[in-house]
Order: sequence, then C-alpha cells, then structure tokens
Amino acid sequence: MEKALQVIEEIPRRGVIKAYAIGGGIAATYYIEPVLTYDLDIFFIPAKEGVDVLAPIYEYARERGFSPQAESILIEGFPVQFIPAYNDLIREAVENASLLKYRDVEAKVVTAEYLAAIALQTGRAKDRERVISLLEEADIDRTVFDRILQSFGLAEKFKKLEKQLHEE
Amino acid sequence: MKNSATEAIFRKKRERRRQLAKLPFERKIEIVVELQKTAAAIRKDPRRIVWPL
Repeated sequence: MEKALQVIEEIPRRGVIKAYAIGGGIAATYYIEPVLTYDLDIFFIPAKEGVDVLAPIYEYARERGFSPQAESILIEGFPVQFIPAYNDLIREAVENASLLKYRDVEAKVVTAEYLAAIALQTGRAKDRERVISLLEEADIDRTVFDRILQSFGLAEKFKKLEKQLHEE
Repeated sequence: MKNSATEAIFRKKRERRRQLAKLPFERKIEIVVELQKTAAAIRKDPRRIVWPL
C-alpha cells in the first residue's frame, strides 16, 4: 500500500492535480474501527477546471503503466478511485486535509470532522452510520464540526440525526 | 426500550469498537484485507480485489 500512496502523493507534485485527500472507507478506517472497503477513494482539486478533470490523471497513470479498472485506476495492485471535489464542502475538506502515516509514507487524509460532515451531507444509510461511528469513536473536535455544519447548512440535518438516535 | 442486559451488551460493543478504533493504522489495513478475504471466500467477485499488502 505504501507504493500506491507514494504514487498518489506524487500526482500533485507533478502538477497533474492541485491537491488531494483520502476519503471514503480508508479515511474512516483511519479514525474508527476497520470497515470493509475495496477502493482507495481520493478526493481531488483539479489543476485546471474543465469538462474532463479526470483526463490528466488517467493520462498520467497510463504513462506510469497503471491501467483503468472499472471506475478506478489500478495503482500498484490497489483500485484507486479519483473523485473531483464536487462541492464546496469537499473542496474545503481537501484544502484542510490532515496527514496520515502508513509505514514510512505520509499521505493526505480528510479530517474526522470533515469526513463526518461529508457523510452527513451524502446521507445514505451507511453514511449516517459512519457519522455516528465517527462521533462515538474518533476524537471529533465538536467546535470545528459545528462550524463546518453551520457553514454548509448541515446543522438541521445533524439535529434530525441526533433526534433519531435519542428516540431509538 | 432497552433493558439493562441489552444495554450492557451495547455498551460492551461500543467499548470493543473504541478499542479497534485505537489500533495502529497499519494493523487496521491488515484487518481490512482480512475482511476482503473473508468476503471473497463467501462470494467471488472479480471486480473486488483483495489488496496485495
């Protein structure tokens, strides 16, 4: 996995994208109990805005000998899914990413507060479960989390989730 | 409505999850791969790759 992370870490350094952060199941696994996942989800901010922001990544991967596989790119045996920052919350999450260390490699990861907010915004059943797990198991800074909820209009949605939990 | 026995079970489960959350990241990734292997043994799906660690 360290080789895959090294390749990913190199992509913004080469100017192919502006910035990235690991999200999804692996980011969740960094903060909470391990969850079954198959893709390494990478949120990224494109180097240039345009219609096909994924094209430079696929081109770079092809040059390095990594092949596409379904909606992912197989990097050093790991399916990596590149997801453009599709809204302001995800863009801010990438801009405020934290660092994780895997063996000798450092990589950017979405912080627990942003990860919980993204899960809340996405809102599927498994995302709501993730919000709860992050609140129970990760060291969430509630001041930071509340600020994110307020900034992105998620405070009411979070109140509803909390209410549901208390009723169960 | 939960009784004290079920509350104790849920409390223990929460404690267990918190313990797992504190594992080193490298160990957590090993567990993810173990989960992938278990899932693959139950249902083969060529799109779902067991990660090579």
